[in-house]
Amino acid sequence: MSTDEEKAKKQREAGEREAARLWRAWRTVHEMVQDRGYELTDEEVKISFDDFKEKFSNPGEAGIIEQMKFSARPSDAMIVRYSNPPTAADPNPPSPDIGTIWIEFLPDSSVGIKQMRAFAQYLSANNFHTGILITNVNITPAALKIIPAVAAETRIECFVESDLLVNITHHELVPRHVLLSKEERTALLQRYRLKDTQLPRIQLGDPVARYLGLRRGQVVKIIRKSETAGRYASYRLCV
Amino acid sequence: MATAKQPKSILKKATYPATTSSKEDRDREVALYHANLIQQRKDIELNILLSTETLIDYPLAKAPYDASNPSLADATEFKRLLRPFQPSDYDELIHERNINEKCGYTLCPNPRVKDGIGGKYRIIGTNGKAKDFKVVEKEELEKWCSEVCAKRALYVRVQLSESPAWEREAAGSTVNIDLLDEPKPVDGAIVEGLGKMSLDGGTGGKQQDVANLALERGDTGMAAKNGLVDVKVQEKEVHRPAQAPSLDDLSGRLDTMHLTLEGHTPEFGSRRERRHAEELEDDDGPDTDWRM
Repeated sequence: MSTDEEKAKKQREAGEREAARLWRAWRTVHEMVQDRGYELTDEEVKISFDDFKEKFSNPGEAGIIEQMKFSARPSDAMIVRYSNPPTAADPNPPSPDIGTIWIEFLPDSSVGIKQMRAFAQYLSANNFHTGILITNVNITPAALKIIPAVAAETRIECFVESDLLVNITHHELVPRHVLLSKEERTALLQRYRLKDTQLPRIQLGDPVARYLGLRRGQVVKIIRKSETAGRYASYRLCV
Repeated sequence: MATAKQPKSILKKATYPATTSSKEDRDREVALYHANLIQQRKDIELNILLSTETLIDYPLAKAPYDASNPSLADATEFKRLLRPFQPSDYDELIHERNINEKCGYTLCPNPRVKDGIGGKYRIIGTNGKAKDFKVVEKEELEKWCSEVCAKRALYVRVQLSESPAWEREAAGSTVNIDLLDEPKPVDGAIVEGLGKMSLDGGTGGKQQDVANLALERGDTGMAAKNGLVDVKVQEKEVHRPAQAPSLDDLSGRLDTMHLTLEGHTPEFGSRRERRHAEELEDDDGPDTDWRM
């Protein structure tokens, strides 16, 4: 076997490994979007590696990662969960604060203000409510400051590709987190006669909170297995 | 004989004469004061972000100008935008420019150098003296287009204030930044400079005066600006007919008149010392208390 052949083989293997990485991140992102309650079919979520390679390996096109982008609409169940219940003071509450989500993988080897601004502009130009940006590298601190600056128009979340290689919520030590709707939340607080600040807390930057896209003030129900009680539910307020 | 009078606590007064507003009002004031502080800080941070975004695309002026001879407009704008920056913000600006493949020095139009060779570190100063020898990260070297530009950029960096803009005092907001290579004066620049001189005399000078006055009075902190410390200047009015000085009431002080400075006669030594000296003169001879 000549050295050229060896080189080609090595290159092919490297390409294969890279494709496998992207496929795993792609699946995790889909699972994440589906778990949040957006509409995705099971075929889209449970795509096999071969189908994935076939889908993204059009010759002549740019690499796999440039084509990796998709959008999803919130399902009816999700709209109900995010809706604001009418109260006596406010009989016509504002519509739920969710909308179409846009997910994009970014191939750049460094992500700065320019790339972030372009992403934010793309989101607001196409009326996407939320955007998820998945990068290879950490985003510069200056670029992260853009997120609160454009928060009025669009909601941006950032993930690093290596964090998405495995779905953390599938790990046996991560209990199930269920987001409560506003009605359930008020019922809970009334049942236990609590103010919301008296609940245990979960941070906004908690990996599971980021996975579920929690917002400040939302309550999650955490269901653990318990050796003594069978199942044990606790509630946490996102801060 | 029991009286109806309540025993009075000596520990604390029932009411403080100073409190006129209720507790809620005071609480609201304090909350508002701190909210304003935070808002101000957020505004400044947003400002820095926008400035960084603007400065990524600098210089705006084209060919005849370069880093050693920047255009006047670019240089003045650069200096103006850089005022609220801290060194760390400036580092971020350099990083952002590098991401866009530009030299880290804002007024330099060249791309940054990139040697395609791998490796994380570089050895420099191998053919100089031993003290020049250094091992540095590759990224450090790839920030600039040349060594001169690195010098220029770092010359600006050391002039930036370490304290964040929202904590700086009144004088800090008008701090001036010098460039290593100031824009070369052209005929047009002189005219522009002349125009600015008169402008400074008008509005800018007045603002500077007010800032200086505030500094002199000591109202530099946020408290004075937001009125937490209520300072009222009360003039003392004097209604008396003016009297010309006459020699009669001066006669007692005529021998010390030559010492008088603007109506004040300085006295040497403190009063207590002088009194002590007089007492000593009254005694007969030196102290003899220590003798048995």
